[in-house]
Amino acid sequence: MSYTTFNQKTFDTLKQPMFFGETVNVARYDIQKHKIFENLIEKQLSFFWRPEEVDLANDRKDFIDLPEHEQHIFLSNLKYQTLLDSVQGRSPNVAFLPIVSLPELETWIETWSFSETIHSRSYTHIMRNVVPNPAEVFDDITRNDFITRRAVSVTKYYDELIEKCSFYTQLGEGTHTINGKVIDINLRDLKRTLYLTMVSVNVLEAIRFYVSFACSFAFAERAKMEGNAKIIKLIARDEALHLTGTQHILQIMAAGKDDPEMGEIAESCKDEVREIFLDAAEQEKEWAGYLFKDGSMIGLNQHILAQYVDYITDQRIVAIGLPPIFNAKNNPLPWINSWLNSDNVQVAPQEAEISSYLVGALDSAVDTDDFGDFDL
Amino acid sequence: MNQSTNPASNNSHQDEFRLDGLAPEHDDFSLEAETVEADLDHEPVQDCLILNTEDAEQPETSAQIDLDGMDKPIHAVSVINNAGTNNSEQFHEVSFQNANSLLESLEAQDVPVHYQCREGYCGSCRTQLLEGEVHYTEEPMAWINDDEILPCCCIPKTAIRIKLT
Repeated sequence: MSYTTFNQKTFDTLKQPMFFGETVNVARYDIQKHKIFENLIEKQLSFFWRPEEVDLANDRKDFIDLPEHEQHIFLSNLKYQTLLDSVQGRSPNVAFLPIVSLPELETWIETWSFSETIHSRSYTHIMRNVVPNPAEVFDDITRNDFITRRAVSVTKYYDELIEKCSFYTQLGEGTHTINGKVIDINLRDLKRTLYLTMVSVNVLEAIRFYVSFACSFAFAERAKMEGNAKIIKLIARDEALHLTGTQHILQIMAAGKDDPEMGEIAESCKDEVREIFLDAAEQEKEWAGYLFKDGSMIGLNQHILAQYVDYITDQRIVAIGLPPIFNAKNNPLPWINSWLNSDNVQVAPQEAEISSYLVGALDSAVDTDDFGDFDL
Repeated sequence: MNQSTNPASNNSHQDEFRLDGLAPEHDDFSLEAETVEADLDHEPVQDCLILNTEDAEQPETSAQIDLDGMDKPIHAVSVINNAGTNNSEQFHEVSFQNANSLLESLEAQDVPVHYQCREGYCGSCRTQLLEGEVHYTEEPMAWINDDEILPCCCIPKTAIRIKLT
């Protein structure tokens, strides 16, 4: 099977599985196999926002006033979020689009990825406003050991799927010798890799992101870095939708109606799935240790964040139909709900803190010369 | 707007203003010497203002269809709460009448439910429906199994029994 941008064959779209069927030809949405993806696209489009809408002038002052260990927590958390969205802004497109077979799912993947690029741009918006030299912070993402270690666990399934799929689309199934290396490509193994990749994406968006959200909101609970929290709130609203998307994909795969072989694979992968969730939880706890290495902050410390990791991991694994791991039924950070509640998301320009509404209303570039004719 | 100083409130609209029981006698109250009776065929507009006498957590505007001359149906909601720390089951017997969603109703009656988006797309409030039927006021987008409901975007159609996990 080689990839073609417009499949010339005539086939019944409704009979295609989500992945590894015929490549999509006509981008049509009049008939849909899984209507949920169309709903997700519409919801995501209705959520559209731009980071520039949120004014961060106060965050700069707040940041300067933060004690050093809290600056470390804030910046490290932001670096981690930048890493996660860098991955999510491209990987669903690169990994899933060549193998997707349903037009509505194809468009959902593109819409999903696009919204992640807005998130990435908002991190630059935050950095520019908060730190004097954003480049230092961004450069550290590839240099800092703790962050790069996270990158490996986040991207390893994606990379494996992308590599195998590129061999599959070029060479098809069978045993191939590439650069002296013998590689066995078969569709069932590819589907297995796809299923596990989807699980790791779900873990990324439903657990890893939420742990980082908790840190962002913990600052805002103390009325610090509130502009940042406003942006993160918009990001969290998108992520809630994305994780619903991956949960649907995983549940549809597991049900086996879409592709019976996928159902069998999901059944046989249960232990590995549990392992992926457990590993992610452990890594998030380890990360919490790094965040709070120089001291904790009011309202949040390593211990409470670890409890939240347990709680959110259980919530997410149960949502894809597996038993809980930690039996953590109580949310140790109940205040996070009000930050994750979309009822409170207000993006109307009347909001005073929205900078685009105030363009020209104030001149922030004040030079000492401006005070030249001042007499006291 | 203090209804008790307005003699017009003694007319047929009085019932709608029963904020705290009976309207007090105000014969001896004379902040203004005389009350001027409006010479109008129809009643003053002010008298038509309706103050919300309901529980703030259960707003007037309800997703339920108002049937003329009939009370809104009250549905019994029986909750098994398994969310305790020690795995013990708790039981709540509450009712649903005025709220916009089952989630709001449960919250107003102090039954803790996990929530996040409150719009049906995050799935945080996923709850098992053991008995009864619900009506979705908004299409639920989050994944739910056949026996599950999203309290944030549904209202009961019958008496229901639910299990929080």
